[in-house]
Amino acid sequence: MNLALTWGGFPAIASAFPMKEQIGSIETDALAHIAAATTERGLDDARVAVLGKKGSLTLASAGIKDVPKEDKAAVGQLLNAARAAISAALDAKQAALREIADRAALAGIDPTLPARALPLGALHPLTQIRDQAIGILRRMGFVLADGPEIEDEFHCFDALNTPADHPARNEKDTFYFDSGKLLRTHTSSVQIRSMEGQAPPIRIIAPGSAYRRDEIDATHLSVFNQLEGLAVGSDVSLPDLKGTLEYFFRELFGTTTEVRFRPHFFPFTEPSFEIDVKLQIKGQAPRWIEVAGCGMVDPAVFDAINTSRKDRAYDPQTTTGFAFGMGLDRLAMIRWGIKDIRLLIENDVRFLRQFA
Amino acid sequence: MNISLNWLATHLDLTGKSIKEIDDLFTFAGVEVEGIVIEGITSEKIVVAQVMEAVQHPHADRLKVTHVDAGEGSWRQIVCGAQNYKVGDKVPCALPGTALPGGFTISETVMRKVESRGMLCSAAELGLPAGEDGLLILPPDSRIGMPLKEMFDSDVLLELEVTPNRPDLLSHRGMARELATLLKTPLKLLDIPTRSVGVSPTSSIRIDAPAACPLYTAVRISGVTVKDSPAWLKQRLEAIGQRPINNIVDVTNYVLHELGQPLHAFDAAKLSGGIVVRHAAQDEVFLALDATQHVLTTGDLVIGDGSGRALALGGVMGGADSGVTAATHDILLESAYFTPAGIRRTSRRTALSSDSSYRFERGVDPAGVFTASALAVKLILETAGGTAEPTTLVAGEAPVLTHPVALDAAKLNQLMGGSISLRDAAAILTRLGLTELADATWEVPSFRADLQRHIDLVEEIARVHGLDNVPSRLAGTFVPASPSDAAYDADMVMRRRLAALGLYECQTIKLIAGHQVGDALLSRPLLDGDLIRVKLPLSEDHAVMRPSLVPGLLASAARNVGQQVKSLRFFELGRVFRNAGGGKAKDQESDSLAILLAGPTSPSGWAQPARDADLYDLKAILSSLLGGREIRFTPKDRPGFVLACDIKVDAQIVGVFARLAPARERELDFTAPVYVAELDLAKLRKLLGGINHVVDLPQFPGSSRDAAMELPLATANAQLEAVIDKAAEPLLVAYECFDVFTDPAGVKLAADRKSLAYRFHYRAAERTLKSEEVDAAHQRLLTALTSQLGVKLR
Repeated sequence: MNLALTWGGFPAIASAFPMKEQIGSIETDALAHIAAATTERGLDDARVAVLGKKGSLTLASAGIKDVPKEDKAAVGQLLNAARAAISAALDAKQAALREIADRAALAGIDPTLPARALPLGALHPLTQIRDQAIGILRRMGFVLADGPEIEDEFHCFDALNTPADHPARNEKDTFYFDSGKLLRTHTSSVQIRSMEGQAPPIRIIAPGSAYRRDEIDATHLSVFNQLEGLAVGSDVSLPDLKGTLEYFFRELFGTTTEVRFRPHFFPFTEPSFEIDVKLQIKGQAPRWIEVAGCGMVDPAVFDAINTSRKDRAYDPQTTTGFAFGMGLDRLAMIRWGIKDIRLLIENDVRFLRQFA
Repeated sequence: MNISLNWLATHLDLTGKSIKEIDDLFTFAGVEVEGIVIEGITSEKIVVAQVMEAVQHPHADRLKVTHVDAGEGSWRQIVCGAQNYKVGDKVPCALPGTALPGGFTISETVMRKVESRGMLCSAAELGLPAGEDGLLILPPDSRIGMPLKEMFDSDVLLELEVTPNRPDLLSHRGMARELATLLKTPLKLLDIPTRSVGVSPTSSIRIDAPAACPLYTAVRISGVTVKDSPAWLKQRLEAIGQRPINNIVDVTNYVLHELGQPLHAFDAAKLSGGIVVRHAAQDEVFLALDATQHVLTTGDLVIGDGSGRALALGGVMGGADSGVTAATHDILLESAYFTPAGIRRTSRRTALSSDSSYRFERGVDPAGVFTASALAVKLILETAGGTAEPTTLVAGEAPVLTHPVALDAAKLNQLMGGSISLRDAAAILTRLGLTELADATWEVPSFRADLQRHIDLVEEIARVHGLDNVPSRLAGTFVPASPSDAAYDADMVMRRRLAALGLYECQTIKLIAGHQVGDALLSRPLLDGDLIRVKLPLSEDHAVMRPSLVPGLLASAARNVGQQVKSLRFFELGRVFRNAGGGKAKDQESDSLAILLAGPTSPSGWAQPARDADLYDLKAILSSLLGGREIRFTPKDRPGFVLACDIKVDAQIVGVFARLAPARERELDFTAPVYVAELDLAKLRKLLGGINHVVDLPQFPGSSRDAAMELPLATANAQLEAVIDKAAEPLLVAYECFDVFTDPAGVKLAADRKSLAYRFHYRAAERTLKSEEVDAAHQRLLTALTSQLGVKLR
């Protein structure tokens, strides 16, 4: 005699009619327990109690062998129906319980709380303006060049057609070393280095530091940043200079920016110009702002290069070029309305984070 | 240089030119206009008007509606708020279109529904000295309709910056000549008598230094009366900011600013014997008229006399006791040409500079020496009386500084991009005072000694033609990328990665203070002479070329500490400087990357507690920066720092890591440990090169084994790694440390011991490993660790 006790306490009785009743009560009971379950674990207990190896319906199913043959089909059907109903109830209840649990899991989450804190970082504004400027010039086919910051007088002055008694060569205005070398007063020395190193055509830009013996104040730094450019070839002309620099400043400040070229004087270019752009700085009327110097390479510079190279690669009769230079610190100040240049070297986080 | 517009207008017709037009003219002549000071009334449109009617404004208590007669035939209706006038008064009326000194432009307008066609002005509104409140009441006999500028003195002062190549512009005549060229208008003729000149006997003028002074002229004027200058002369000088002194000195100053030729007047009574133009004796003492005393060298040029005294520092400044005073009766007027280089040297050395030296050192017109002298003689006779010697005494001769210059039409055309015809170019040169000779060469006037070469002529043509009239060409040549391009791109990748990892990029100054050198974090210690010091620093704070980025970064971090910033995460890429081998080799520059971490790794918030950065954070940043490469630290002491290590990647030393010495941290007010690293950028750039070939993904599964190893606290993890690496177990593909356990209390583990848990990953490329193979490999590794390091497996 198979006499397992279920949680309902009904003994399994192997007869057709009591069997039918028994199945009915197992189902009713199971459905009640399923309905009463409040956790997935409780639901699983209910499943095991009815459908498990020793579950009430499993045991009841085992009793079918004692059911008279003529009733077997009917009891079998009853058993299947009960199993199906119980399984369906289990599935439905499981889905319901999970939904409740999922909802509960979200209940405490307040999306309006502030973010977790990640450290913030930023590129320095000078890096940003330099990269933008370099990006524009590279689109025009310029490549980068470099040179030493501790220079000799030949590369900084002599080869750039600067007379021996030029004020820039004064110890009052320029940092010298005991070795006789000096801190380059402009990145134009890279023009000379580049031409010494390679024959035309040349199309270089050289970002870098330059030094002047200026007291540091709101508009001066003794170490500042320049961007130099040089294009040399067999038919480089004023239209090239004009087209290149107009394009550059319009890309930098907006395509409708007005650009003008004022005649000026530099020892190493002739003719020479200063470039102004018309800009509106916040709170001011639009005005012309000086942004760069430029000019056609003076033939005397080519002569100096040839002497230094010991060849005629830069024959002034057939070689022409234009050069330009601009202050990146100044461009950054104009671009972002920075009123005190010292902000660019103080690295105050309250300033830097604005560029993140 | 200061230019008075009224004075300028004595040389050319500027009628109808607005100040803005004149500003633009100068700007495009290459002369920078640094300031414009308007004195008095300059507008033609401010006229005398008579108030004919004044009635209460229908909609405003404080306004009146006036009708004024401004001499236009009919009356003009103007709304006015002033109260101080009565009908019949004559007052200034600004007609529509007038720009007032305040920057306000008058227009026809409607004020509270009443039309107003102009403005009645107060003195202040016109830029005149302010009198009583309200309208400026003009004299009753003022002529209606007359421009007020004719009743009040007015002028425009232009503050101009002349480039060093254009000394010819350093006078009113010179500026006028330039404007006349640009405006294509004629210059007015100068009224200067011609004087006879004669070679001076050496007893009167002797030049002992002909290279420094090739030409010296003098005129003796006897019986002058030294007194105040006439009003016109004072006004001219005052208009350009010069203080009138007396008629003789004022005339010499006037001629300097009129023609650009400096002159000097000596009191003839104070000269003994003739003029001697000579070099100074070594250590000769000179007392200048500004009362400064100077010890001269043989390179200086003095104007002396027969007594051997120095009367003047030639071309720079007169002497204290040879100048014109109220007691002077006879003068000797000097006009000379001094060579620029000598004047520049003396002026710089003695720190004496004058309007005279400013012009001589840039180069005056040698041919102008005589004209200037003649004009001064004429003006002195007019203002001081006396008698001039009929002949100007001359020693030496005017140097010829110009020569004919050829203009190459083809090259001009190339450079200008074909934007100007040869005929137009020639017209520009002609207007500039050049004369075309045969065979396309041009004779240059004596005042344009800057025009020496073909390109100098091209510059003049380009300048006058204007870049506005040159087309723009958008074309270029293709050139191969350079090593600098690769370096720049690698640097930008690193910058962006570090910023994305939550660090701020800094830029610090490359000149640091000597006392900051102790903060330098260097892989090689500094030897004597390695530091590069500038000769004349601006201050001790900026005296040394930085040998490391760390001192600057530390200073920036300390500055932020002062601003209560807690989380300090900074980096900088830049150049560092040191002499190699104690200064024997040439100056050395290299590029560096420095990183500084101190304080919380991220800002504190509700979701996480703040944690101060430690050295493993810095290691993690370096690893991320280099694409996940393994970063190894090898301890190596460095003065001023603790925990100092060499940083190795792929067994190559790429930089230095350390924590700032705690004492220094406290000194700089840091409250958390400060970790710094400085790396060689050239090496990092190579490590960022990317891959050439991908590695095939593993086809067979691997297997891992863990090991917990107990070892002395002092044994470095690197020692374990060294044993593992040396074992070179072929099946071992990776390993990692996943736990470090210590117990300072000594309860679970002796206080001087630690336990490291490692996971070892084994795999063969061509097959699935059998369990026994993995076990055997793992055992070999553990045996090596136990036998070589004495680790105890747990």
